[in-house]
Amino acid sequence: MTGTEFEPKIVGFFCQWCADAAADAAGRARIALPPNLRVVRIMCSGRVAPEFILQAFAAGADGVLVAGCLDGNCHYKNGNVTALKRMAVLKTVLTPLGIDSERVRRVGIGADDAKGLARVVSDLVETVRRLGPQPRSE
Amino acid sequence: MPKPKVAMYWLAGCGGCEESILDLGVDLLALTDRADIVFWPIAMDAKYRELDPLPDNSIDVVLINGAVRDEAQERMARLLRRKSKTVIAHGICAQAGGVPGLAGFHGRDKILQRAYQEVPSLESGGLPQAETQTDHARLRLPSLRESLVPLDRVIAVDYYLPGCPPPPELVKEALFNALDGELPERGSVLAESVALCRTCPRLASKPDTIHLKRFHRLYEVRWDPDRCFLEQGLICLGPATRGGCGAQCLKANMPCRGCFGPLDNVSDMGARVVAMLATLLDETDPEKLENIAAGVPDPAGLFYRYTLAASIIKRR
Amino acid sequence: MVLCGRDWAIIDLLMENMKGDIANREVLPASPEKSRTPARIGVYICECGPNIKGALDMDRLIDSASTQDGVVSVSAFPLLCSAEGRKFIVEEIDTHHLNRVVIGACSSREHGQTFKETLTDAGLNPYLLQQANIREQCAWVTPDTELATRKAGTLLRAAVERVKGHQPLEEKSIACRTDVLVVGAGVAGISAALTLAQDQRIVYLAEKAACIGGHAACYENWFPDTSCAACEVSPWLDKVLHHENIKVLTLGEVEAVLGYWGNFTVRVRKKARYIDENACLGCGACMDACPVTVPDEHNMNLDTRKAVYIPYDGSLPNIAVIDPDHCLRFKGGTCSACRDACSFNAVDYQQEAETLSLEVGAVVLATGFDMFDPRLAPRYGYDDINEVYTALEFERMLNPGGPTGGEIRMKSGDTPRRIALIHCVGSRSEVHHGHCSGVCCAYLLKYAQQIHEQIPGAGVEQMVVDICLPGKTSNQLLLKTQALPGHRFRRMRQPDAIELTQGPDGISVVYVEETGQQAEVSVDMAVLAPAMIGAAGARGLGELFEIERDENGFWSQPSALSSPVTTRTDGVFVAGCGQGPMDISQAVAQGQAVAGCVLQTLIPGKQLPLEVMAAVIDDTRCSGCKACLSACEFGAIDYDNAGLKASVNPLLCRACGICAVACPSGAISSGHDTDLALSAEIEGLLKNDRD
Repeated sequence: MTGTEFEPKIVGFFCQWCADAAADAAGRARIALPPNLRVVRIMCSGRVAPEFILQAFAAGADGVLVAGCLDGNCHYKNGNVTALKRMAVLKTVLTPLGIDSERVRRVGIGADDAKGLARVVSDLVETVRRLGPQPRSE
Repeated sequence: MPKPKVAMYWLAGCGGCEESILDLGVDLLALTDRADIVFWPIAMDAKYRELDPLPDNSIDVVLINGAVRDEAQERMARLLRRKSKTVIAHGICAQAGGVPGLAGFHGRDKILQRAYQEVPSLESGGLPQAETQTDHARLRLPSLRESLVPLDRVIAVDYYLPGCPPPPELVKEALFNALDGELPERGSVLAESVALCRTCPRLASKPDTIHLKRFHRLYEVRWDPDRCFLEQGLICLGPATRGGCGAQCLKANMPCRGCFGPLDNVSDMGARVVAMLATLLDETDPEKLENIAAGVPDPAGLFYRYTLAASIIKRR
Repeated sequence: MVLCGRDWAIIDLLMENMKGDIANREVLPASPEKSRTPARIGVYICECGPNIKGALDMDRLIDSASTQDGVVSVSAFPLLCSAEGRKFIVEEIDTHHLNRVVIGACSSREHGQTFKETLTDAGLNPYLLQQANIREQCAWVTPDTELATRKAGTLLRAAVERVKGHQPLEEKSIACRTDVLVVGAGVAGISAALTLAQDQRIVYLAEKAACIGGHAACYENWFPDTSCAACEVSPWLDKVLHHENIKVLTLGEVEAVLGYWGNFTVRVRKKARYIDENACLGCGACMDACPVTVPDEHNMNLDTRKAVYIPYDGSLPNIAVIDPDHCLRFKGGTCSACRDACSFNAVDYQQEAETLSLEVGAVVLATGFDMFDPRLAPRYGYDDINEVYTALEFERMLNPGGPTGGEIRMKSGDTPRRIALIHCVGSRSEVHHGHCSGVCCAYLLKYAQQIHEQIPGAGVEQMVVDICLPGKTSNQLLLKTQALPGHRFRRMRQPDAIELTQGPDGISVVYVEETGQQAEVSVDMAVLAPAMIGAAGARGLGELFEIERDENGFWSQPSALSSPVTTRTDGVFVAGCGQGPMDISQAVAQGQAVAGCVLQTLIPGKQLPLEVMAAVIDDTRCSGCKACLSACEFGAIDYDNAGLKASVNPLLCRACGICAVACPSGAISSGHDTDLALSAEIEGLLKNDRD
């Protein structure tokens, strides 16, 4: 990180079956992922409590990526759909809470789609870079 | 042996909690038999200078209602903490910010501007100043904090008595148990430890699973007073709200709005409500989901109705 | 207890049968408890040869990890997964009295299990471990050493914060039933049953028809080598019928099911046959005596049978059955012709349906296929033109036991001279089914062979779009067929571009050629190859077992490629053409594959391991609000209506944690993925960002 330029911190909640596997695949293929990303590995994207997302922002994150399986591929039938539902309702409170909803993204990633993952992460990093640091009351 | 000393004080709140003490009725007389009420400005003449000389820890129990909005309130809270052995945050404003905490959706400047410049019934347009010089004196107003905070952000709180306001039975129980030394572990909330659903008269009508295509507003449907509100698509925070209120709203055919605050294991009531409600949606299309969510009026204000000031984002 | 299925009326009955087993649940003791606070954490960083060491500043990582609260020992080691590395960790745990361990190494996908076992070797519960992925997700994706070191420090710090919240988890297991129910006695079901049946394992083979063998037993010859079907099938059927560990339940249909992997109770209704199965010899005297004649569905209604009948010559079991829809006795009459004719007293008009409650560990759905109904596509003229047959009808015509005694013959009695074989009827279609059934090309080529053998020189017009002949021998059939005199391929532009009408001179087949030009050919007989689709009769089973079907009626599966015989419901498997269109050898292979899946887990005398991360509901916090019931995809939550509390059935829970998020009381946690542990990890990832 070079001096003064803003480097967004992105917390990723990655399901262990697909998104986290894709992150490993990126490693094996030596496809660079932005170092801005820090991953919490979870069983299913449906395990991501809205609190976790809020907590990440409160603790210093500038963006959050919830990544699960592709549509129809959830290891737990519809956990990724549940994550989608929660994201839809969570987004209604983000703006009033002072969080631009563009900072939060939910995606499905195939277990081998390292390039797709790299693209999604880079895109979120750039979006958040453009938005600037998440304002915090402190 | 002298009687134990009790105090009551009102910070940023509507005063309903003070009513909840008056609602003790004859029990108030029992209280005065058991204890001396040494400081209770709303009922008895009292001055700050009378409180200050009391020895530290000389008050046995103080009930403080309301949240902390300005520096005077903060000073009083600190003073009462110093003078008291046990501090009970009285009501949801003291516990979690309550309705005044909703101001947290806006910064201090925006609130002042709205209240003193934009309100249609106002003419002046001047903002209150921290200091004013008159012919005789220099007057100081306590300044507003950037945001309202629950009591425990300013002082250590020993117990929480939830509700808007807490029902008199709970107030009575808290006071007398405190005097009898029979309060539970410090930090406890003095109400039930399970959610309101358990005591809701409509629980029996709640189906095992709920599948909602949309949320309704109360005026949009003719709802069945015997059936679970959620099952009818009417948002009710009963599942996410601590029990102990006696289900008064539900019995009056109104859904719960959460004034008893969250359960012990919940770090952010609004976020929990988001997750719970989203789970009940029977839709998988992203656009339709957004439409359903958009159908909730003022969702943040509803999900965080009484707890915004204690939310993850605002408590940092 | 969770009902898998919807027949509430019989739950009580099934519940009765299940009670014994829950008590069988055995709990293995957890490892010695060394998890007590305060945390004593060891952090071990694997150099992984040059893989990690070369990409990160190891000294800085060790320094930063050493300053964290609770960390009592930090070391780097050349290769932690090696025998030396594991020994080193065990010694460290011992020396420093560690109660938690953080490993900074590869992905836990690679060596998570290795390090769990290492903790176990050291007498520590294996779940008091957190592995930070500093290889795949850090060293290998971050070219800049400085940035990579910072990120690795962050990941290690988060792992340390998280592991503080870990508690020892118990590994539990449950006794399981080893018997298996196979639904459908076609080749796939039979193959599964024969592979599964062994000592200490009963296989129930339920077949809704009166005889076993399914479609394949109706064929005369099998492709690709036009071998004799009966010669292959009959010995199998025989073996199934006489196997002492296979119980064949003909006329049997599943009515309800309760339970889960390892412990199902299935109610099967065995319809009355009105013939004593033990007494009937299959002599056929009753059939001769019966005065009622009805269309014979086994011969595709091309000829007739009696109201008491044996489905076809050589059908097994060789036992008659009375068709109560047509028998005079069941229509209020007094006829007793069959009973009077039976020398063995086998006819029993009073026989009643039997309900069997089967206790099995797994269920195999081998429900087979239906053919697309060509009536739905009037262009083929199936209803209007006399000499248009479906492939199954033509199979019966070719069979010596069939309506024409095996002769290819028109209804007029004449022998056809020109026959059109029409490919892709309702399949690969823009209006009907989009899929390719995969077997039709081969059997239509087989028909060409069979026609040629019976009617040398007959004109055979193959109406085809493309030829699909996968496999190692099918193409031989093509080469052989192409050489036949009178055989011709007529290429259609697409499957729907064809129309059959009755002309004065036979059937007129009008089609659009590849070039777009319309063409016509006149034939005496046409045979349609309709799409294979999942059997419509299996729809109810799908609802009972909570398995969805796709738009073509086949079972939908989470990963049909990597696990073609498993379903979304644990312990319920699929095999054969209900899973997708396939040929006989593939169906047999699937039956055997299913057997492998079952044999691997339902081992006599062994217990079935339970999900260690299964969710747990703190019943002092549960308000009974039922949000978790809406969240759970696996029916794993039981609700106590009297106590107004929910609890998790660890046998069904898959530990996804979705219910933990839905619970508005925060009363649910799933293994060591607690809210507290995950929150600590999040804080760890963001706290003090200067390493």
